[in-house]
Amino acid sequence: MSDLDLDPVIGIDLGTTNSVVATVRDGVPRVIPSRTGQLLTPSIVAVARNGKELVGNLAKRQAITNAENTVYAAKRLIGRRWGSREVEDARRVLPYELVAGPDGNDVRVKQAGKVVTIPELSALVLAELKADAEAWFGRPVTRAVVTVPAYFNDGQRQATKDAGRIAGLDVLRIINEPTSAALAYGFGKQIEKKVVVFDLGGGTFDVSILDIGKSVFDVVAVGGDTYLGGEDFDRRIMDWLTFTFAKENGGVDLRQDKMALQRLKDASEKAKVELSSLPAADIHLPFLASGGDGKQALHLTKQLTREKLEEITKDLVDRCIAVTEKTLNDAGVRPSQVGEVILVGGMTRMPRVQRAVKEYFQREPCRGVHPDEVVALGAAIQAQALTSPAQPGSDVLLLDVTPQNLGLMVVGGYFQTVIPRNTTVPTSQTHLFTTVQDNQTSVRIAVLQGEKERAIDNELLGEFILAGIRPARRGEVSIEVAFDISADGIVGVSARDVDTGQHQSITVTATSGLTEAELKRIMDERVDDLLARKQSSVEFQQARQRATAAMREIEALVPAVQAALERSRFGKDAVQKAEGVMARVRQAIDARDAAELSASEEALDRTLQLFKGLAGQGARPPGGG
Amino acid sequence: MVSVERYRGVVFDPADLAEDVDLDVERRKEILFAEARLGTWTHFDLLGLPWNASTEAARAAYVEKVKIFHPDRYPGQRLGSFQARLEKVFRRLTEARDALADETRRAAYARATAPALELAAMAVRTLEDEKRSGERRARLARQNPLLARAGRIAEFMKRGREGMAAGQFSQATNDFLLVASLDTGNREAVELAAECRRRATAGRVQECLEKAAGAETMGHWGQAVQAYRAALELDPSHLKACILGSRAALQQGDGGAARDLAELAVKAAPRNGAAHEALGVALEALGQKGAARKAFERALELDARLETAKERLKKLRWSFLG
Repeated sequence: MSDLDLDPVIGIDLGTTNSVVATVRDGVPRVIPSRTGQLLTPSIVAVARNGKELVGNLAKRQAITNAENTVYAAKRLIGRRWGSREVEDARRVLPYELVAGPDGNDVRVKQAGKVVTIPELSALVLAELKADAEAWFGRPVTRAVVTVPAYFNDGQRQATKDAGRIAGLDVLRIINEPTSAALAYGFGKQIEKKVVVFDLGGGTFDVSILDIGKSVFDVVAVGGDTYLGGEDFDRRIMDWLTFTFAKENGGVDLRQDKMALQRLKDASEKAKVELSSLPAADIHLPFLASGGDGKQALHLTKQLTREKLEEITKDLVDRCIAVTEKTLNDAGVRPSQVGEVILVGGMTRMPRVQRAVKEYFQREPCRGVHPDEVVALGAAIQAQALTSPAQPGSDVLLLDVTPQNLGLMVVGGYFQTVIPRNTTVPTSQTHLFTTVQDNQTSVRIAVLQGEKERAIDNELLGEFILAGIRPARRGEVSIEVAFDISADGIVGVSARDVDTGQHQSITVTATSGLTEAELKRIMDERVDDLLARKQSSVEFQQARQRATAAMREIEALVPAVQAALERSRFGKDAVQKAEGVMARVRQAIDARDAAELSASEEALDRTLQLFKGLAGQGARPPGGG
Repeated sequence: MVSVERYRGVVFDPADLAEDVDLDVERRKEILFAEARLGTWTHFDLLGLPWNASTEAARAAYVEKVKIFHPDRYPGQRLGSFQARLEKVFRRLTEARDALADETRRAAYARATAPALELAAMAVRTLEDEKRSGERRARLARQNPLLARAGRIAEFMKRGREGMAAGQFSQATNDFLLVASLDTGNREAVELAAECRRRATAGRVQECLEKAAGAETMGHWGQAVQAYRAALELDPSHLKACILGSRAALQQGDGGAARDLAELAVKAAPRNGAAHEALGVALEALGQKGAARKAFERALELDARLETAKERLKKLRWSFLG
């Protein structure tokens, strides 16, 4: 069976700053370019002034002038609880407005006066990538593997999966980014060694240790920090710029001006990228602050040296190494036992980061993988492995682990681990509960994920109420609660009465994600939108083909028509009109405007019919017939 | 048939083998067999390894096994009830790997699951190792002239103790005496030597008594008397040897010897009723009725429950009066 006979499957790296879509064709993983030819799609969603939704590069281009309605780094918020430290931090630095969800649990964004959930925003990026893939394949794509940082907890994974569903994708599997990178690195090679993936992306830092052998990719341990990434480096530069700017300009605080902040952010990122290859970067931001009150406008001109950048971000790099060390300790692996270190994520281009990694492992990191594309490629490989029979030499089996301890709150507010971190998934574990009061009919169970001793310091995944327990004396009823972690890293809970074998109902009272009902509502709302998008990818192609064919015919007929018109008193302006129609169609094709194209199609068709008639007249002798 | 042999002890449910899924029969059997054995197999069994296999072997076996039992290995295939079965086996495989891939946990698990034979063999190996290392230490000590004397003393002391513990008392006595000669102030060695000698004697006496008992059983009374005499040479005050020797001599028909041995017994334990009783019996056999009666009376004075003495005395009194 060739790839063409199979339904295409894709792998998506849904990044904090950029996203990438890839597939495996003829046994070779490759990145799918966007319809405009780019390999990276910015993970940015905006609502333009005219109310139009913009995704990717288009959204990024207008970010400066429309900062409040441009959402970037949504990945930092996905699956987070309102009121968590991460969300509080994000509220301070993000130019767009965050609000709490209706239950006060999840985080939402106020965009152009409308409250949008984070999975919806991520779904727009996913849908864009899906449309790119459909344009590339020329047919619908419905199945995908989506990557998340290894350190993502259950809520974040669930929310990412929801985003896939909203985007109309059947998410085959959620896999971890570093694992995915290792997969792309080891795919098709006969490797047998321990590999460390050091993944410093836009918003998250992940480190994974894998045992690769005989095409089995066995993750031994993962570690990370979901709040450490390139954006933190950018912010250090921004802070340095705003601080020095305030010092040099009599205390002008740029942080009050959202547009200035956005320009600073862009300039900081650009300078950071430049400093990976140059010793110094110049930052020019003319008219950064309006003078006002007749004062002169203020410009920012600064030079940032690599040395200075390394100084102001030293602690961030140190944090990466500390996390790496802890993860190796967890796995019982010494740096000298590591056979390869793979660098993933744009931030690993920074020379200081590379140096720190090299110093720690005492070996040169692998340069064979593309840090921006490797994760998506691995996801594509896994998507392929999950949908089609293994090909000799390229079969893969991923064995991933759960990144954090899963457990419960027990008496005294302590956290009791049920499934420890670094347990290979899928896995399950049972825990026995007994009633503590006579005739107790319900038990409340708080399920948590994290590393802290006190329950409250960990992430609350949900509270479950076991109801309908048969009345009996205390301690006489034992309820067995089974905790299950799927291959996606998503947690499931079920309970049963040990004596009667009866299943107990479980009610989820709080999660950071969307409820099923809400998800349904969003998906219903999005159906029209998705249909339109589908048309704009698949049907657009067909419309374009029809339109180009019609235009070719018209052009071929023009000389004959002109000849016919010279002998006629009518329709002198027909050619002119036809040219107008054709110009509109060309514009619609260039702009990929499906609606405009289909609107012009009829006019094009009429023109063609008219031309055919006129040309036929011209071919015959005048006055005949 | 190979398959019967391979899946020994498990009867497959025809319904499972007939389920409408995309798996061939052999694969189904493999999965069903593993599932059926989950409860009884050890981690080693599950991974197809011999007991006490190494961590490396466990990791390698796991990698091979998951290729069969991981549900992801059947992309696009309908697995039906086998999906859950595969997951169940996979989870156990992972559990096994986790327990065996870490050396500390593996060693503990191996100890806990050791077959009895292996345990015994291991105990022997440990003892041998200890012995070998002891010998090596002793050899090293001998090689150093400064340490040679002290080393030899320690070596003899140790060997003596070991011999004592093993019941080889004559050898141990020798060792302790050697120590005492090398290290004249060593009271402990002297005492131990005495103790060992005593025990060695007791051991040999016991041997003689056993030999005598054996001879008696076969009715070789002369041999028995000889054995008792040998025992008494080692321990002249051995009461039991005297009394039993006297009885054996009587059976042999040697009343004089019986009397001599019984007198020895009385001498060894003047306040023992049984000794006087034996003397009485011997004297009576020799026809010295008066002396015999006195001996019986003395015996009953010391121990009123002696049945033979009572009976004999009754007869003697009656015949004397009569």
